[in-house]
Amino acid sequence: MAKTYDYLFKLLLIGDSGVGKTSILFRFSEDAFNISFISTIGIDFKIRTIDLDGKKVKLQIWDTAGQERFRTITTAYYRGSMGIMLVYDVTNEKSFENIKNWIRNIEENASADVEKMILGNKCDLDAKRQVSKERGEQLAVEYQIKFVETSAKDSLNVEYAFYTLARDIKAKMEKKQEASNPPARSGAHQIKPNDPMRKPTSWLSRCSLL
Amino acid sequence: MKFCTHSKIFSISLNMSETENNTTTPEDDQTEYVEDGKNKMTIKCQFCGSKILEKKTAKYIPQKKELPLMKQDVNRKEGEVQKEMLDGYYHVENMYIFENIGFTHQVESYKYLICADCDAGPVGYYDLDTKHSYVALSRVIHC
Repeated sequence: MAKTYDYLFKLLLIGDSGVGKTSILFRFSEDAFNISFISTIGIDFKIRTIDLDGKKVKLQIWDTAGQERFRTITTAYYRGSMGIMLVYDVTNEKSFENIKNWIRNIEENASADVEKMILGNKCDLDAKRQVSKERGEQLAVEYQIKFVETSAKDSLNVEYAFYTLARDIKAKMEKKQEASNPPARSGAHQIKPNDPMRKPTSWLSRCSLL
Repeated sequence: MKFCTHSKIFSISLNMSETENNTTTPEDDQTEYVEDGKNKMTIKCQFCGSKILEKKTAKYIPQKKELPLMKQDVNRKEGEVQKEMLDGYYHVENMYIFENIGFTHQVESYKYLICADCDAGPVGYYDLDTKHSYVALSRVIHC
């Protein structure tokens, strides 16, 4: 069967429990059908299709499903992930301080070139705010990671964050491909991997294509 | 959304416009939705219109299979799951064929499929043994 997309990215949401990771990904609206059945089972992951500069990109987005209570996420969970949303709660100082620990956990367990982004969630709760936007920005500069404040409740910047992370992953992949595969002569088709989740084609098979 | 049709609503309106005893069988209205064995139209969530499947990406199978009700009775017994028998599913071999879909945690050997935008569901199920997904025709709309 013909492939129905250009890229497939596995993304993870990581951060302390209670920062709103689940509400970023899941709505759990107040309707009767959710309260009674789906919310009792809980949601594992979602697949979303977005258009990025004319390319069809599939995002497979995972919540940490309670594993974060152990303050660490195992290597198995990170396997194959290409992007990570580091989430803290602007009304919870501790969750902000722990971002550094989460970054360390990622460095120890995830692939070295995983794209990251920091989200300061619950920015609608200004009266309860403990972490200023400036501190979030400083942290992001320190680690050279993009940053945005979000409100899952008001759907503020959530979509923007996913598009930004996906665009950065795509740009990184295209850069890599270009480096290992010099630009094609005009009129020639650009060569791209058939499946981004698969191991990259070896230089040997690439050469045979040229 | 005016071009969207729900298989149940469709058969009801057909019954009303025609004579009382001329009822439609599931086979009749499935031909409205199925062409060359596949979904003729785009599949969307019946509540929020989120796109679930592009047209002609899933195979129709006439299987009967139970699914939990989307709205469970609040007065049901504790731990009880109310189900109904549904006839007619779309078979999706690879989960990445879906445009937008959510997967619940595992229940026995299944994960239930829900709308990725409003979380309404189950609209179908994912079989962990075969890794294939099945969307019930009666739980979605065709556009």
